[in-house]
Amino acid sequence: MANLKEIKRKIGSVKNTQKTTNAMKLVSSAKLKRTEELAKRSRVYAAKLTELLNEIAQKMQQSNVEGIDNIFFKECNNPKKVDIVFITADKGLCGGFNAQTIKRVNRLISEYKAQDGEVRLRAIGRKGIDYFKFNRVELSNEIIGLSAAPDYKVSSEFISEVADSYVKGETDKIILVHNGYVSMIAQEIRQDQVLPVESSKLQLNAVSTSELEVEPDDDDTLLEALVKRYIEYTMYYSLIDSLAAEHSARMQAMDAATKNAKEMVKTLTVKYNKARQEAITTELIEIISGMESMK
Amino acid sequence: MKLLKLEIVTPDGVIFDAEVKQVTLPGSEGEFGVLPEHATLVSLLDAGVIVIDQADNSEVAVAINSGYVKVDEEKTTCIVDGAVAISGEGSELALALEKAKALLKSAEASSTAIASAVSRVERIGKSL
Repeated sequence: MANLKEIKRKIGSVKNTQKTTNAMKLVSSAKLKRTEELAKRSRVYAAKLTELLNEIAQKMQQSNVEGIDNIFFKECNNPKKVDIVFITADKGLCGGFNAQTIKRVNRLISEYKAQDGEVRLRAIGRKGIDYFKFNRVELSNEIIGLSAAPDYKVSSEFISEVADSYVKGETDKIILVHNGYVSMIAQEIRQDQVLPVESSKLQLNAVSTSELEVEPDDDDTLLEALVKRYIEYTMYYSLIDSLAAEHSARMQAMDAATKNAKEMVKTLTVKYNKARQEAITTELIEIISGMESMK
Repeated sequence: MKLLKLEIVTPDGVIFDAEVKQVTLPGSEGEFGVLPEHATLVSLLDAGVIVIDQADNSEVAVAINSGYVKVDEEKTTCIVDGAVAISGEGSELALALEKAKALLKSAEASSTAIASAVSRVERIGKSL
């Protein structure tokens, strides 16, 4: 009989879990819709900004004043010091979302370490921070709370700090890793080189060939302002993208959990019924054999 | 008459995308007008007002805080941080004007530039 009670208790607890996961799924899908909308709108802006930057860079290359000697565009073939900025969620329960990003970061670390490079990590999001702290890997920056609620100002401050250390020569390369949103059911790891701006990205449809005029005349002012804006926005957009991906990953994970719980309730119910049947049979046998012995 | 393709993009999405006759932009080195087939140009934009001469001869004004513009023979693309279109009637217009002024005042530009842009917005508001 104790067994019966045990199973009944289990069924109750699994049912409760199912309720929780289902609620979380609903919350995530609602949040996903909002974030997706935000991402969609800012995607246009990010794309235009990249396009503009690429075009200017290409024009500069064409006119070939002295090639591109701007610090932001100088390609470093043998990076010695690399900064990796990565975004994870503050919360778990979203399947392999955080693990995937961490895996990629680990791979990058070993890649650069193999080339005798120095790697600094800058983490956004509690899960990533926790992981590397647990493994006793030093983090030079850590921010909690930004990945759950992207804020342009905070993210700009953060990335400006990183960019400053690039300008100062403390680092040769800045890489941004995050898990990006593809669709409701798919995420994909995105790895972007923030600085120096990759000239290989310049796959331009040869537009006008006329000479490019720049205002203010001094190229550097414009380029600097533009590059600054570009990295700020890349950062911000990545945060939104990551958030959308997080919600979609959580939605998926919670959907799977709800389904699994349902399955479990089913098997447990079968088990419960069997145990009950067994108990009844045993009781009957006991009664009958008792009567038999009285004869 | 030839038309020019104009696009205004903000972090909140594309707010203007149409063929227009002419557009006047608040460049950091001074205001300038762009007609179709303008030579390629990239410029910083300051806080100010973009005046668009639409294909149907009506005028539209958009207040911006800062940004960039890229002009080439076919297309003009404005990439701005914040923008408010000054349009509508009555209370709607008043609201748009208020928003435009607030946007301009929040811009990180010299006070004279902001003052002139604000008075410009007021003038446009009266003429509408």
